[in-house]
Amino acid sequence: MKKQQAPLFDRVIHFFANLKLAVFIILAIAVISAVGTIYEAVYMEAEVAQKLVYNSVYMYTVLAMLSLTLIAVMIDRWPWKQHHAGFVLAHIGILILLMGAWMTKEYGVDGSMAFNIGEERKYVTVKDRDLMVFASFDGQGMKSIFESPVDFLTHPPSEKNPYIVQLGSDQMKFTEYYHFAYRDAEIMPSDLERDGPAIRIQLENANVNMTEWIRRESKVNMRELDLGPAKIVLANQVLEPTGRNEVVFISRPKDAKLDYIIYNKDKTLRKKGTVAQGDTIDTGWMALKVRVLRYLPRSKEIVTYSKAGYFTPVTTSAAKFSFRGQDYWIGVNSVLRLFIEDTAYVVSYGFRQIELAFPLRLTDFKVGMQEGTERAATYESKVDVPGKGNVLISMNEPLHHGGFTFYQASFEKDETGRPMISILSVNHDPGRWVKYLGSFLIVLGSIVLFYFRRVKWLSNLKNLASQGDAETKHQERP
Amino acid sequence: MIKFILLPLLLLASTAFAQVGEPINGLPIQDAGRIKPFGTFAGESLQLIYGKKKYEDKSASEVVFTWMLVPDHWLTLPLIEVRHAGLKEALKITSTEKHFSAQSLFSNERVPLILQELNTIRTRQEKLNPYYQAVQRLENQLGLFQAIRKGEALRFVPDPASDKWKSVPELQGDAQAAFMKMSKGFVDSIAADGGKNPKPSEEFKSAVTEFIAVARAQAPEKYANMTKIGWEEHLNKFHPFKWAWIAYLLGVICLTFNYFSPRKSMNTASWIFLALGFGLHTYGMILRSYLSGRPPVTNMYETVVWVPWGSVLFSFILERVQKNKLLLMCSATVAVFCLILTDLAPTVLDSSIHPLEPVLRSTFWLSTHVLIITISYAAFFLAFALGDLLLFFYLKDEKKYAVQIRNGTMSIYRALQIGIVLLAAGTILGGVWADYSWGRFWGWDPKETWAFIALMGYLALLHGRLAGLVKDFQLACGAIISFALVIMAWYGVNFVLGAGLHSYGFGAGGVEYVTGFVVLHLLYVAYVSTVRYTRQNSQSK
Repeated sequence: MKKQQAPLFDRVIHFFANLKLAVFIILAIAVISAVGTIYEAVYMEAEVAQKLVYNSVYMYTVLAMLSLTLIAVMIDRWPWKQHHAGFVLAHIGILILLMGAWMTKEYGVDGSMAFNIGEERKYVTVKDRDLMVFASFDGQGMKSIFESPVDFLTHPPSEKNPYIVQLGSDQMKFTEYYHFAYRDAEIMPSDLERDGPAIRIQLENANVNMTEWIRRESKVNMRELDLGPAKIVLANQVLEPTGRNEVVFISRPKDAKLDYIIYNKDKTLRKKGTVAQGDTIDTGWMALKVRVLRYLPRSKEIVTYSKAGYFTPVTTSAAKFSFRGQDYWIGVNSVLRLFIEDTAYVVSYGFRQIELAFPLRLTDFKVGMQEGTERAATYESKVDVPGKGNVLISMNEPLHHGGFTFYQASFEKDETGRPMISILSVNHDPGRWVKYLGSFLIVLGSIVLFYFRRVKWLSNLKNLASQGDAETKHQERP
Repeated sequence: MIKFILLPLLLLASTAFAQVGEPINGLPIQDAGRIKPFGTFAGESLQLIYGKKKYEDKSASEVVFTWMLVPDHWLTLPLIEVRHAGLKEALKITSTEKHFSAQSLFSNERVPLILQELNTIRTRQEKLNPYYQAVQRLENQLGLFQAIRKGEALRFVPDPASDKWKSVPELQGDAQAAFMKMSKGFVDSIAADGGKNPKPSEEFKSAVTEFIAVARAQAPEKYANMTKIGWEEHLNKFHPFKWAWIAYLLGVICLTFNYFSPRKSMNTASWIFLALGFGLHTYGMILRSYLSGRPPVTNMYETVVWVPWGSVLFSFILERVQKNKLLLMCSATVAVFCLILTDLAPTVLDSSIHPLEPVLRSTFWLSTHVLIITISYAAFFLAFALGDLLLFFYLKDEKKYAVQIRNGTMSIYRALQIGIVLLAAGTILGGVWADYSWGRFWGWDPKETWAFIALMGYLALLHGRLAGLVKDFQLACGAIISFALVIMAWYGVNFVLGAGLHSYGFGAGGVEYVTGFVVLHLLYVAYVSTVRYTRQNSQSK
């Protein structure tokens, strides 16, 4: 068959069917994969290794060469004989596996959903990021004026090579990106009418010493912070007790003093009064004192980002852009509001949300502990699925519904350590059965291959034994 | 309360005592998420705090039990092991000493500061460097020592109202009385004969039985399965893996004699020893699996026991087919090496049975893929040892040992084939497991990735052989070099890279030894290659 082909085709086939090239490709795959694991270890994050190594041009080039080699070597060995069965099966298996992997990458969804108990969700968060800009020109509704997927990790913006968002005649110019950044927020006095109050509270007794800021936007009625022994609330009016030991501060605009009211766990009133900055309230609970270290009737939060060397659970990603002569930083999954002249802009940068065809509601979430310890042993979510009712999702027992699979991935605790937020990993994988077929063929092929090799080897062995000390021949062809 | 009554008695008797702890070895205790015999708990606690499973000539259960009974006595003895030189410097304690008294550490004003630093790093959730790992160990040592001294860590009695068992200070009524009686029996046994020849008295033994009955009566459905406890006690005492390596070693010796002067009796003896070693090895693993309720491949220690078992098994099978005694010699050496290692490096290869992390529980695919991947390592380990031996033959005289080399090469080739099929299958099943557990067939998790890299290494070797790049000599070298990839997948991912989904098993230590092992072998390959190359050059001239 191949003799009838054009000489060029023949030469290409021969080039790619070369076993030495195959050895090189196999080693290249090994080396690139090893580099990937080192990236992951250094940056402590899988996404970096994924995007910069495993999905890099180098890896794709090598995999493309691998595919060509696999095809070429099978053409080169044509017509196949019986002892080629294993080699052909294994090599076709690898090609099918690669195809399945490609289908997963192109058409699959790999994301997650997080809900509080009782909450209903319809969106799956995936790792891809979108940049969106909304504007309100007339002070009325917000209109989307820009929307695009961005990948600053693979294509980092710089002064030389900025990422430009064209907004009419204006432009937002992204010039810097920290994949790992520490977010530092500083609360400062403000003189703008629209900014809300903030207090810095110290909670102290023989065992406890905590200092925290609480800040409330003026449009929000109350903000609360659970400090363990007591809950601290900053509100704009007197609130009803909620059944915790709580201290409620009520701020009044343009007043340097705060009212406070203290409730017991049993919802009875403990104490009330007025304090100024620097005053201390004796709560009487376990000799606990609450000190108002700072009080700002009008406050603003200045957020800055500093570069971190690698991932930790407190790092985030952030990008810098300039707009109308001023620089701004925006963190991932956050929203930035800019008021420029008469126009209000909202810039949003965050993970893409994919809408499901149906909502899920978390009705219950439980964590089982290893006996006698505080270490989680099992976790399970009860989820209300339309048309299916309450379904239990636990570790290794996922829910399959509407083309998606929902796995119990992890959970988050609230301030008191109670498990509150269940995190499901959500997955749609059209390449699954293709990959399984490929895998099956690879394993089957290897077994067949080595079986035939053994038969061949045994006959070689007999020959050798009769020939005496002849040098073994290695150049067998598969 | 109990302590005060017993204190005077014990002060008499805190000197030399031998096996008084025997009867409480099998006392069930709840600790770290499971119920275990007190002997296990005491051994693990002493290992953490003191760095050994024995204190001078005293058994762990005796020592640990007296921490609670005479807490003040133990405060001043050098008991707490601190090894990290940097930590000793930071604490300003003698750098030549290894053990320090709890009192000196409790009163050391630097300790709280250093622990505070550790906490800061923990809240930032950063990776701990070896120094902070040492600080963390110190924190655990001091914490556990205190908890045992106060009896808080000693949870002997189930609580019908809670999952947590009751600790010694929480005991009331019957249970408290029975505990006091038992403690008194213990103290009397030590003090008997003026403390010269201590052994457990009959009263003590019956008091222990009585206490177990009282404890069980508190919440019978929650109490320990005494059969299991008994088997675990037996495992601790009998230590089958130690006997296994001794038998294997005798087997290797017989094989060596037999190699130089073949004799039928020697041959038979070698088979008997190897079979005995393999039997004990198997017995120990079955016992551990029964106790932990899972296949014996969930941590480093277990795999270091399991992999040589596979090597021996493969060598038995291949020896039947290929009639190559070198296979047995190599696999038994691998087994001796690994099993001795489990005894020598207890901090890296922690033999305690821990409950599993949630994601690792109860799946068929998990057990299957890990068993298959690790058993492929066994085949590669066998090929590696054969490679070592063949290089030795090459170094000696290639012509003279031509037969051994040819047979050895075939054994290597066959072992590599077995390994490759198993590693490919295991890696793919790992994908099936990941898909089943969290919907990701392949997520480039470092552990799986390194198994894949090792697979690529061996595939390159076999394809190189087909391409004519790899001849017999290079195959032997390749079997050694590629095994470095297996070591990386097996050990390096957990202890060197320390990232990714498989972080449940992460520990520290031993990196310098393992690196040394790999480097020495690479140097060996380089040396033999050079010698062989110069030899061939001079011959061709």
